Amino acid sequence: MRMGPARIASPGADSDARAAFEADALEFVDSLYRTALRLTRVPSDAEDLVQDTYLKAFRAADTFRPGTNLRAWLFTILHNTARNRARDRSRDNVTVDSEVVDQAADTPQFAAAGRVDDPETLLLRNTMTPELKAAVDELPEAFRQAVWLRDVEEFSYAEIAEMLNVPLGTVMSRISRGRRMLFGRLQHLRPVNA
Amino acid sequence: MPDCSRIDPLVTPFVDGELPQDEQQTLTQHITACPACRGKVMAERAIRSVMRTRRSELSGPPAPADLKARCTLLKSSSVPVAPPVKSEPSHVRSLRTSAWRSPLAPLAVAATLLLLAGVFLYQATRGSSRVLAAELTMDHEKCFRLNRLLGTHNSAEAVEAEMASGFDWNVQLPDEAELNLVGSRPCLSGEGKVAHIMYTYNGQPVSLFMLPRDTRASELVQVFGHRARIWSEGGRTFVLVARESASEMERMAALVRTTIR
Repeated sequence: MRMGPARIASPGADSDARAAFEADALEFVDSLYRTALRLTRVPSDAEDLVQDTYLKAFRAADTFRPGTNLRAWLFTILHNTARNRARDRSRDNVTVDSEVVDQAADTPQFAAAGRVDDPETLLLRNTMTPELKAAVDELPEAFRQAVWLRDVEEFSYAEIAEMLNVPLGTVMSRISRGRRMLFGRLQHLRPVNA
Repeated sequence: MPDCSRIDPLVTPFVDGELPQDEQQTLTQHITACPACRGKVMAERAIRSVMRTRRSELSGPPAPADLKARCTLLKSSSVPVAPPVKSEPSHVRSLRTSAWRSPLAPLAVAATLLLLAGVFLYQATRGSSRVLAAELTMDHEKCFRLNRLLGTHNSAEAVEAEMASGFDWNVQLPDEAELNLVGSRPCLSGEGKVAHIMYTYNGQPVSLFMLPRDTRASELVQVFGHRARIWSEGGRTFVLVARESASEMERMAALVRTTIR
């Protein structure tokens, strides 16, 4: 699911293909906006970011390789644009991914989860959406992005690595730590054994 | 048995189904004996599952309609790209005042804009009456220009028959001296789903659009030098577009509302 539309046109010189490519790209405006909103947390900034993304995407249409994932390509532009903006404002949010955070992520007691019969069902049953949202929002930026791109947007590790401009191993460890932190923050499973 | 620090990096790709067969086996064997690592697998699996299940609630609102419209206007194939615009698509407006004047070129531009917009904007129009009004005003301009070239004139019976067959809409059109029927076109906005009936009112072009299966609040919107009066009735939305004053728009709308059946 959530893959590109069936026709992924070549954005080459001919204008029909160009128009088709642009129409395909525009189908992802909702998913780009949602992700932009997660990155900026401010609707007007998210709108600017998406608009900038399309501006760049349409200008750089020739660099898109037909047959590859158009949505992933757009997400890469979105994240690059967001990073450049953050750098312009001289607060690069990716540096939040510090050792302190990495160590903090390892604290939850997973042995408890291992003893509970079915933590998945328990979590699904006991976690209200607002609570889950809050827990996701509290994650450090780098972990939140990785978990979001994998579990909500369902991109591959390689695609996420390209978007976030980090090695594949870093993508996996961020997803891992992000998920475990989330689990640790969703309190319901703890009282049983902790 | 391999120690837990060597197993740990395998947990995430295992949960995501990205682990090669042999490593899968190593991990499976380890977690049957190790509750701590089994806990990590179960925790990650639970989070992955809850995130996927709640995806739509987590995702938040879709993109606002006017953002969609602005992004559509950024297409290289539509018009030269203007700087990002907040509410009024000013490059469209400037097109109307400059290039618009020569008889055929602007028509091509309008048609291109419309065709391209048509694929995408219908979704957007669902949200914003302003975008809907803008889109239909372009239709209004385009169809009247086309009609001036083609000189089409349809009878009321012909238009009524077309509405019945094309839109499943059994309508009796207003038969008023003030509103002269010009003709109808199935417009391309949103998959050809919009009925467009053209009139003249005191010699000036007036368009009545009907969107099936669409309801929205009554509104009078000003766009591109035109006014659009929007209302819904019986599960259909009607939009009247003309270059008239607000009071004339209300008068026409009332005329149409009382006569259309």
